[in-house]
Amino acid sequence: MGTTAAEHLRTLTPERRPGIPDTMTGTLRLDAYQDGWTEHWYLTVADQRIEVSRSADDADLVVRAHRSVFDRLAAGELRASAAMLRNDLTVQGDMRLFVVLRRVFPGPGDARHPREAARQLAAESAAGREARG
Amino acid sequence: MRQERVYVMSGNAFAISDAQGDIVIDPHAPIGYFSFDTRFLSHWVLKVDGERLNSLSRDDMTYFETRFVLVPGAASHYVDADVSLIRHRSIDDSFNERILVLNHSAEPAEFTVRLDVAADFADTAEIQQPRPRRVSVVADSERRQLRLRYARERFVRQTIVTSTAPVEVDEGGLTFRIRIEPEGEWVTDLHVATLIEGAGGRDLRAGLEEHRDHVRRGMREDLQEWIERAPLLNAERTELTATYQQCLVDLASLRYVPLTKSGAVPVGGVPWGMALYGRDAIITGLQTMAFTPELARATLRTLATLQGDRLDDEHDEEPGKIVAELRYGEAAAFGDEPTALYYGAADTTPLFVILVDEYERWTGDADLVRDLRHPTRMALDWIDEYGDLTGDGYLRYLTRNPDKGWVNQGWKNSPEAITYADGRLPDLPRATCELQGYAYDAKRRGARLAREFWGDPEYADRLEREAAELKQRFNRDFWLPEREYYALALEPDGTPVDALSSNIGHLLWSGIVEDERAAAVAAHLVGPALFSGWGVRTLATGQRRYNPVGSHLGAVWPSDNSLIVAGLRRYHRDGEAARIASGIFDMACMLGGSVPELIAGYEREVTKYPVQLPAAGRPQAWSSGGLLMLLGALLGLRPSGDNLLVSPALPPGFGRIELLDIPGRWGHSDGYGRDHASSLRTRRPRLR
Repeated sequence: MGTTAAEHLRTLTPERRPGIPDTMTGTLRLDAYQDGWTEHWYLTVADQRIEVSRSADDADLVVRAHRSVFDRLAAGELRASAAMLRNDLTVQGDMRLFVVLRRVFPGPGDARHPREAARQLAAESAAGREARG
Repeated sequence: MRQERVYVMSGNAFAISDAQGDIVIDPHAPIGYFSFDTRFLSHWVLKVDGERLNSLSRDDMTYFETRFVLVPGAASHYVDADVSLIRHRSIDDSFNERILVLNHSAEPAEFTVRLDVAADFADTAEIQQPRPRRVSVVADSERRQLRLRYARERFVRQTIVTSTAPVEVDEGGLTFRIRIEPEGEWVTDLHVATLIEGAGGRDLRAGLEEHRDHVRRGMREDLQEWIERAPLLNAERTELTATYQQCLVDLASLRYVPLTKSGAVPVGGVPWGMALYGRDAIITGLQTMAFTPELARATLRTLATLQGDRLDDEHDEEPGKIVAELRYGEAAAFGDEPTALYYGAADTTPLFVILVDEYERWTGDADLVRDLRHPTRMALDWIDEYGDLTGDGYLRYLTRNPDKGWVNQGWKNSPEAITYADGRLPDLPRATCELQGYAYDAKRRGARLAREFWGDPEYADRLEREAAELKQRFNRDFWLPEREYYALALEPDGTPVDALSSNIGHLLWSGIVEDERAAAVAAHLVGPALFSGWGVRTLATGQRRYNPVGSHLGAVWPSDNSLIVAGLRRYHRDGEAARIASGIFDMACMLGGSVPELIAGYEREVTKYPVQLPAAGRPQAWSSGGLLMLLGALLGLRPSGDNLLVSPALPPGFGRIELLDIPGRWGHSDGYGRDHASSLRTRRPRLR
């Protein structure tokens, strides 16, 4: 992995994202702070597309965290909701847009499709039966 | 004898004490003052001159207010007590207590009033064995304040106790040295603020005056308005009216606004379920649609915002899945429990689609349906893409979190709930029968939404075709022809799991039962193995694991029964529906107060009185909602186009009932019904 949040956001392409609700419009600002300075990422959401720019303008939802927290979100190592409960990430504004924050970043890399988990379990129990038989 | 518990509550905040109002922790119950899944007071004990107090009387004024009348010392000198105390407790987003000390003697009196205070900041997930935490305490007599603070990294929780009267504050509590004139009184107001740093920027330090105003005006008014917005019930049997009122108040007390801020949703219930559960909230929304549709609306919006969007094994999350549980405590924040957002439920997602459709049918709120098109489509896609685990077209579950995940992911989620008649447990992934009913219903309703609101007739056709195929397949694979009921579940290889269970009643509610089989299913539901006389048991007697005190292995749940009764009426099994509804209403009226989550499955004829279980909480949202749904089902309330249809089928002895001002797309409408016996009697004066 090793993708930082900055790299992840820079490479966000403007194509339609089926995961974003089509009725959702608004703006998010991600404030990533480190060593006394803050980097701002400005996300404009409309028509299932996300446009990323660098701006410190007001936004409907402002998300603030240490840069390392955003990096962990971008690497799929951390869930935004848990970070918020831990107070490692604070949000202010329209919480409907929190969905966008979640859907911009990936999930854990080792996660399985439920069908794959079912296949693994079936294979294990077949092997178990063979060993017993 | 079991110590009596007294609670005050508001949404997900609640305080449970003993009958004197004291809080002393107990590993078997969540005693203390809790908010957002954290215990902010674990010790709160009042003494006068070193003596604990005894309760003379108590007035539970509303769900958020209680008044204790207390005297010091042992029972022997109650009669000539020359001092008494009134402890008036209330709760909203802070905990408040007014302590009034009365001197009844003709002489001035001096007392030392002491309040021991501690906070352990335990998470609701670890009540049985809270781990020790380093709590820093600041005692500030000058500011009349005691601050208790717990921090783990940036996660910070604080309890701030403030007194209006002068006080000596030490690290263990507050001491008041007071002098009261003859026949005089002394008073202090204690304000306990909870501070959650972060978590949406919440800062709960509200001023004392503001709080008292809020309780006096805001909360009482809010409760009054809530009751006024709901229909008015007039019943010949007055205990029905009392039960109805209690259910409405209970539902009011269980509302809270999550940090997603899309309106007030119901929490599960007291004492263990004071959090948002997707299943409980959706079922409550369905149950209360004819009464308080605002619950359904807020639930839909909130659950849409929390919808799953990724694969995540630890949290059993998949794109489109509707959340099972949402907690805010330390265990969730640091991943000790997967509950920050846990998705381990196979029924919430189809039930969400069902709620969207049902909500529109009743309210006519097409805007919400259009606005929720995307999450509803994602939910429908989830059923086949992520819910069909073996590719045989059935909705199944298998947790991917072996340590903390739920083994069973339907409403019967205890580990042994899904069993063969002979007690063997089936392999995973399991396809329980009611899940197939929900999936069928969700597809049918999704088709209506696609056709009427989303302008997508092709998708509607596809969903209808899939639903028809599912119904046909289901009736072939789940039906046990010799026993004339549907299997509880299918094994991964398709072998039917043959236990007789209440789940078959949900199938009627979903409409997946073939018409010619409805009579047989109904006969089982009121047969001696399933029907206890109070209601339908979760598992029938004669099954190897049947246990009348087992939650999902024999106990009777009002919520379960409400869906069953609605299902029976759907298939015109009015006699069976009336019998079961009558049993549940008798149980609720006999017990009085809030309807419990469940009662034991013992035969009514044997115990005569409903046997309550210590594990059963009350109030519970879907129990209170269940009684409302039963009422609606007995009256046969059903939207049809822009009208409300009423086709009553009341049990004998119900007499006449009127439900006035039922809200919906028709504005407000009334429903009337009388039982068969009373309609044979001569004309009686109109109620009101």
